[in-house]
Amino acid sequence: MRKKNLKIFLILTFFCFLILPLSQILAQVDTLPPATPTEVRAGDTPNDNGHSITVTWKLSADDGAGRKDVVAYEILRSESPAGEFVVRGMVPAGNNTYQDRGAKEKEDKNYFPPHHDFYYKVRAKTLKSYSESEVAGPATAYGQWFHIGKLPVFVGTLAFTIMVLTFIGLARKGKELYVRPLAGIDAVDDAIGRATEMGRPILYILGLGTAADIATIASLTILNRIAKKTAEHKTKIIVPCMDPIVMSVAQETVKAGYLDAGRPDMYQEENIFYITSMQFAYVAAVNGIMLREKTATNFYLGKFYAESLILAETGSVAGSIQISGTDEIAQIPFFVAATDFTLIGEELYAASAYLGREPLLLGALKAQDLAKAIVMISLALGAFAASFHLDFFLRLFSVQM
Amino acid sequence: MKFLEKLLAVDRRIIFLFIAIAVALPLFFVVKLHIEVTPVVRNLHNALEALPPGSKVLVSLDYDPGSMPELQPMAESFFRYCFNRDLKVIIMGLWPNGPIQANVALEVVLKEPEIMKKNLKYGIDYVNLGYTAGNEVVIERMGSDIPVTFPKDYSGNKTEDLPLMKGVMNFNNIDFVYNLSAGYPGTVEWVLFAVDPYKVKLGAGNTAVQAPQIYPYLNSGQLVGLLGGMKGGAEFEIATGYPAKAVRYMFSQSVAHAVICLFILLGNFAYFATRKKKGS
Amino acid sequence: METIGIWIAALLTLGIFSFLYKDNPFYKFCESLFVGVSAGYWFVTTFWQVFMPKLADNLVAGRFYYIIGAIFGVMMLLRLIPKIGWISRWSLALVVGTTAGLYFTRYLVSNGMVQVQYTIISLYVKGNLSQTIGNLVIVIGTFSGLIYFFFSKEHKGAFGGLAKLGIWFLMLSFGASFGYTVMSRMSLLIGRMDFLLGTWLGLIR
Repeated sequence: MRKKNLKIFLILTFFCFLILPLSQILAQVDTLPPATPTEVRAGDTPNDNGHSITVTWKLSADDGAGRKDVVAYEILRSESPAGEFVVRGMVPAGNNTYQDRGAKEKEDKNYFPPHHDFYYKVRAKTLKSYSESEVAGPATAYGQWFHIGKLPVFVGTLAFTIMVLTFIGLARKGKELYVRPLAGIDAVDDAIGRATEMGRPILYILGLGTAADIATIASLTILNRIAKKTAEHKTKIIVPCMDPIVMSVAQETVKAGYLDAGRPDMYQEENIFYITSMQFAYVAAVNGIMLREKTATNFYLGKFYAESLILAETGSVAGSIQISGTDEIAQIPFFVAATDFTLIGEELYAASAYLGREPLLLGALKAQDLAKAIVMISLALGAFAASFHLDFFLRLFSVQM
Repeated sequence: MKFLEKLLAVDRRIIFLFIAIAVALPLFFVVKLHIEVTPVVRNLHNALEALPPGSKVLVSLDYDPGSMPELQPMAESFFRYCFNRDLKVIIMGLWPNGPIQANVALEVVLKEPEIMKKNLKYGIDYVNLGYTAGNEVVIERMGSDIPVTFPKDYSGNKTEDLPLMKGVMNFNNIDFVYNLSAGYPGTVEWVLFAVDPYKVKLGAGNTAVQAPQIYPYLNSGQLVGLLGGMKGGAEFEIATGYPAKAVRYMFSQSVAHAVICLFILLGNFAYFATRKKKGS
Repeated sequence: METIGIWIAALLTLGIFSFLYKDNPFYKFCESLFVGVSAGYWFVTTFWQVFMPKLADNLVAGRFYYIIGAIFGVMMLLRLIPKIGWISRWSLALVVGTTAGLYFTRYLVSNGMVQVQYTIISLYVKGNLSQTIGNLVIVIGTFSGLIYFFFSKEHKGAFGGLAKLGIWFLMLSFGASFGYTVMSRMSLLIGRMDFLLGTWLGLIR
């Protein structure tokens, strides 16, 4: 028994003497500095206003490899190679770039002076130790006059502007600009005729947009044409509005339509009125109008949001024929499902150009078509280039902002 | 055939009643559904997990009480996550009601025992800068000067006096932007005016109506992740390990969807069957 | 006080819901109340959240150039006086011009060029059939969708065929969008039901 106890005691003592130095060695390993980051470069950040320097480096050999104990990098800066270095920022392990930025105002605490030499070094950090790179520099920040990365944006903007102005010019000169027929527009006349036969009014909703929204502007152009037709047919048109400015524009539009039809005496301003600017309160009121007035035809043309289905559903219950059009993508499915004819997205703008035949609208539409053609060609060529890994072509479409 | 014709002509109020029951009845039961966290939500969670403690997260609540059922659970789960991870939260809104919704969510989250233990202080751990008019112009302005855009916070305190806001000049001083959006202005404006020009990291939670419009921004990397509708909110709750309101509502949502699918199938079957009969 | 608020909210909710059965005076009352309260709320919000901080506070602080914005705002409102309504065109021109300038390059980049950049993808991914199919769907769908919205050529022949393919893609995406929106509406209904059954009646926790 004694021999056994002695054996156990000796074994335990041996292990203690073994574990102690091992733990000390391991502790030392823990505190061993990681491999230093190398190839540290510091230079002006391109395409900026001159208050930033970009620092890059090669990752420490212990970052994701080797001992895998690097957790972060600190970037330090000084105004001279031997001067005091201060920490400017930190990035997690795996990153090899840092942008040292500051404010442009001299009064600001974080002011970053341009045209001033700075020196950098990068510190790789583990949980208990770190190592520092060689000093890189001098690096100087300076502003650029032109952002090269935005060149495609500049070219695109210029090209599109030229196209729009060219087509508007051609339209003004009287050149015939073809716009294909649209199904929803052909239905407008039938819808107005139906209302006339039934002796029930037409409801025209301009949507929830303001007078500055394109969809509302397009809708007002169509309203003018419809107002003219309703005047010719002696059918009442009701235009409840959500925006007071839109209401006043709508009143003028309808009045102009009645004037064109030679029936200014039939114009009744009280039929174009303001309700409220709150979305669902407006919808509740319009639903009430639909059911009480029993409108034969409902037009929903403009900017719509969540209320679109509520409107279309109520119109359907009231038995009205419904023609809709909006550029709000989320609402198009509801109009497609619940109304009889839908102008999808850009078809609303095309419809206003088709009906109005105004040079501005026609010119803009044709320019958009040309832009679309360029995009389609680019897509086709680009997909071909990507399939065959032709990188030079793909770089043309790399956009920076 | 008469049955099918009757089915097509069924009073819509019967359908409303079925939907009401399909939505209401499951609320009485607590059923744990298996909710798979989709990659779009997982990516958002991973991006947040990569933020070290102390990172500044800007939360823009761009919705009103009309979208509360979908977006409020997202707000609560996000605040809970941030506070648990010691992330600093800067709240703002492009809609007038947004900051109010934030306060409602904070009221709920700050009362939770785990969060109370952290002893969070307003002005140090979180601030509410409130609402400012201007829509996308607000975002544009924040790109150069946040204190000028929000000179005072929701309670009227000077922004420059708040410890959390010291050194926060523009988007360069923000580590992550999270946007809860129900329409305009919202996620689209944040992408157009913050992500591309200022290289902001943006995650979003949207109503299910808006979510399909936002997917193109996910594919192009302009958005790191997206919570789409209440399901997205439920997935985020699962990902963060704290199932709450959105997860609870999923049973009701699933039953309602099943009933709607059934009606769609029945309706289409009846429509085509009666049409065929009339044709022959 | 909170209990009264909950009861009012619950009764108004039921009043609006009653429209689902049929139009009735209770619904009409709730509708009118909603319209009136919303107009008042909107006015108060605009005054305290827009007018006061954006104009009044700035003028009081000595930033008098903010009066220029106020003048343009008043000019916009002159639209309501027919004789001098033409003055509002200047304000509208400022708004439209600023919006166009602000948005043009942003849209061109974020919604145009970046999207084109990420749609230029390989039509064949070696060893990954699902990715290949996905890429083909994206490229063909985008291309045919653009064809559908091309207004300078009538949809006939091969062009018409591609346009038809485009509208099929559009309808599929609308269907998916519709499904998403149904989910959204159900979520809102769930929220209301939770309020009625939980907060109001206390039947669920």
